Amino acid sequence: MSRFGAKKGRKLPGAEFSWDNDPSGEADTAPTPLYPKYTVPTARPLTEREKTQVDFYRALREQFHDGPYYSVLDPGISASRRTAAGKAARQHFDPFHGMPSYSGKYQKKKRGIPKLSGRPYIMKYFPRDDLWEVIQPTYKPGTAMDGFVARMARPPLKRGFEDDEEEDEDIGKRRKTGDDDDEGGENDDLLEPDDQEEEEIIDDDFEDDEDEMGGDYNAEQYFDGGDDEYGDDGFGDGGGGGEEDTY
Amino acid sequence: MTSQYAGELCTLLVEDNFGELFARIFSTLVHYDRLSFSRLKFYSRLSNSQLRHGLAAMVQQHLIYHYTSYDDGITYYEPNMQSAYYLVRSGKILEFIEHRLGKYAATVMSTIMFLGHAQVGYLETLPALKPANSDMNGASEDSGEKQIAEEYQGEEAHQETEDQPNGLNGNHAPSVYPTLLHPTLKALAGHGYILRVRDAQFQSYTDNALDAERSIKLRPDIKALKGKKLEDAVMEGTLELLKERLDGDLTRGLMFNGVPRGAKRRHATGAADAPSKKAQVDYAAVDEDEDGEDENEWSDDEFGEDTIPMETGITIRINYEKLDVALRNRRFLELAERDSSPETAEVYDCLLRRIEYQTGKCRDTTQIPREGEEGEQYSVPISLRAVVEDVDLLLDLAGSVGPMEIFQPVHRHGKRPLEESVNGIGHDGPNGVQSDGNRTYEVDQHLCLLAQPPYNLTSKRMVSGLITWTVEFRHLARKLRHLELERIIEARYGDVALRVVRVLHDKGKLDEKRLQEISLLPFKDLRQVLATMQTGGFVDLQEVPRDAQRQPSRTIFLWFYDPDRVCNSVLEDAYKAMSRCLQRLLFERNRLKEFLEKTERSDVKGNEERYLSEAELTLLEQWRAKEALLLGEVARLDEMVAVMRDY
Repeated sequence: MSRFGAKKGRKLPGAEFSWDNDPSGEADTAPTPLYPKYTVPTARPLTEREKTQVDFYRALREQFHDGPYYSVLDPGISASRRTAAGKAARQHFDPFHGMPSYSGKYQKKKRGIPKLSGRPYIMKYFPRDDLWEVIQPTYKPGTAMDGFVARMARPPLKRGFEDDEEEDEDIGKRRKTGDDDDEGGENDDLLEPDDQEEEEIIDDDFEDDEDEMGGDYNAEQYFDGGDDEYGDDGFGDGGGGGEEDTY
Repeated sequence: MTSQYAGELCTLLVEDNFGELFARIFSTLVHYDRLSFSRLKFYSRLSNSQLRHGLAAMVQQHLIYHYTSYDDGITYYEPNMQSAYYLVRSGKILEFIEHRLGKYAATVMSTIMFLGHAQVGYLETLPALKPANSDMNGASEDSGEKQIAEEYQGEEAHQETEDQPNGLNGNHAPSVYPTLLHPTLKALAGHGYILRVRDAQFQSYTDNALDAERSIKLRPDIKALKGKKLEDAVMEGTLELLKERLDGDLTRGLMFNGVPRGAKRRHATGAADAPSKKAQVDYAAVDEDEDGEDENEWSDDEFGEDTIPMETGITIRINYEKLDVALRNRRFLELAERDSSPETAEVYDCLLRRIEYQTGKCRDTTQIPREGEEGEQYSVPISLRAVVEDVDLLLDLAGSVGPMEIFQPVHRHGKRPLEESVNGIGHDGPNGVQSDGNRTYEVDQHLCLLAQPPYNLTSKRMVSGLITWTVEFRHLARKLRHLELERIIEARYGDVALRVVRVLHDKGKLDEKRLQEISLLPFKDLRQVLATMQTGGFVDLQEVPRDAQRQPSRTIFLWFYDPDRVCNSVLEDAYKAMSRCLQRLLFERNRLKEFLEKTERSDVKGNEERYLSEAELTLLEQWRAKEALLLGEVARLDEMVAVMRDY
């Protein structure tokens, strides 16, 4: 208000742009100037060496693609947690190419999950709690595995001062022997922890729980939980607020 | 390496190589940086088994770091941007290995890349590494010869290496396979291209540093210290411990007189072509060694070591840092080739190779230091004798330098040696008859030539009376960066801009008048060029007010050019351009999706001529050319990134 008062006799700001100012004027319909000429740079053709490099890259990529780790996200899989799997699959059905055909059997099969079996892994390079079960299906949490005794808390000093190399080789040898006589090696592993059977079952239950809950935070129950506990309080607060205003 | 475009690029690379699942996990980690399993699951919206399997496979491929904290026992995951980025360099590395150590070594290398890390024992069992497949024979010779013709003329030794696996295959293919793998691995290890996997390599550097610090602080002798002393001791101990834990060096014991065992010795090849081949046949265990002739030079026990296979328990992976060193050397060599004779380049190659064996990584600091603050860092000195030993005996050294008597003065005037020899001043006949001392002198002359400005590719030093040659790596890396920037500026803004930038770089900050006087350009051109370059972010303006009012009329405006700043922005641009190229590639692939899926069908693949029509074959050809062009462009940009970031 004060701003307009100070500029007495002047037009309101922005008034010069109004349509009334220029009654006879026509909208400027002339074409806007074109973008100036632009020379598009073109890449040099590849040299021989670059061609071999690209071919090597492609060969390696091809190898990865054919390998066990290449995996795609099927839209049906990731969205299936809430909606029924069937419904999702129907939604994404491709009417033109989705019908099974004879040549489909030659089609490259796509993996949804990387395949981990089929090659040896060195267990100590992977985090124990999360991934050991995946790498080694025979592994059960809380049991001895490959000479490693699972403990909840390792003393921090221990790490690093051990002779890593010896361990390394030990595992290597064990792994080797395990490969040579698969059955025997696994049986040994299984026989050892027999008396801990009960613990395992407990552990399994616990694990499942964790999987379902997926941590302590659950976005879907966020509001529900709040309503149950604080619903009444909320109303009370509202009433209280009103009263305070009158004071 | 943590910018938006770098993250985008790494995610795209992961997707291009490993598929969408990896990319989803990787991009989630790039966005949120450090996550525990449950949080990662929440953000990435993946199922439990998808995530577990994906993570395990990614750890195997070194694409993520993990760290289990001691306080709460929770494992945290972090993206490993560096190794994700190196996916783009795989083609370059494999080509380099093939060139250096032969086809089979490249196959071994790509298998290790494919597996992430692997035990030697497991590599032995792989069918892919059995060299019995016959396609090796034809292909390797062709590609080898082409490269020789193109780049490294007169490198007969290379041809030699290519021949040997072939010869062996033909003779007794099935029996040699384990003996071929181990020498190759040894050669790779001796060169430092592979290293042993250590526990600590799976954790990020920061985690390792904190860990090491913690364990140092718990030591009783450290606890007794106080104040500044304590800090210093902890610092020192941490670095030491880190080095010890991360160290995966495999070259120890595989070096002999500063040369890896697998390295070829041109000296021997050049001298005796036919006999060395004969010697090879009955000494089948050594793959690319040229040392059949040198047997007597080496003491027996050390020689016997070579036939011992590598321990099967060792886990190995690719050593990218070392490969960066090798690729950088190749870059320098190209620089030398550009304006000196092939013989000089050859001599330089020998010197660089010697240095490469003893250089672990490109620089000590993780970041490239700022322009003025960078100290000089010389490489290990290589004695002249060693270089002379390496240089091929048949190489015509005298042909490219002028006659001995007047060599020095002419040389000072900066004339190029090639012109001199064209002048027709004769030099004495074949080199074979020349004495040893003469040859040493000639090699020295070639190296002197390389030491001249503008590049100063080498520098001479006397160590306890012996002539040694070194390479000033930091200076040269900086030079490479500047050349790259100048190239970009010239391409974008023309040669006038290049002149202005050079003046600014040489003189520092200048006002417009002074700049005009020095650069001898009309005002109009100068202003135009400066304005466009300022818009592009290559030069900038600094205001220095002469009084407190900061009136424009009483202010001095100084133009300046800051290579560090420009480097960083160019680097970001390069990341962006690379990721755009990859996105374009994805888009193009999607356009041809149906067709490409058809070509990838298991029955079509391999016999395209039989199943595809004429039109489809041309389409496939076109697609391959297009893909190669885009990937080649990415590789070129990667070269630029390497210059700006890694060297």
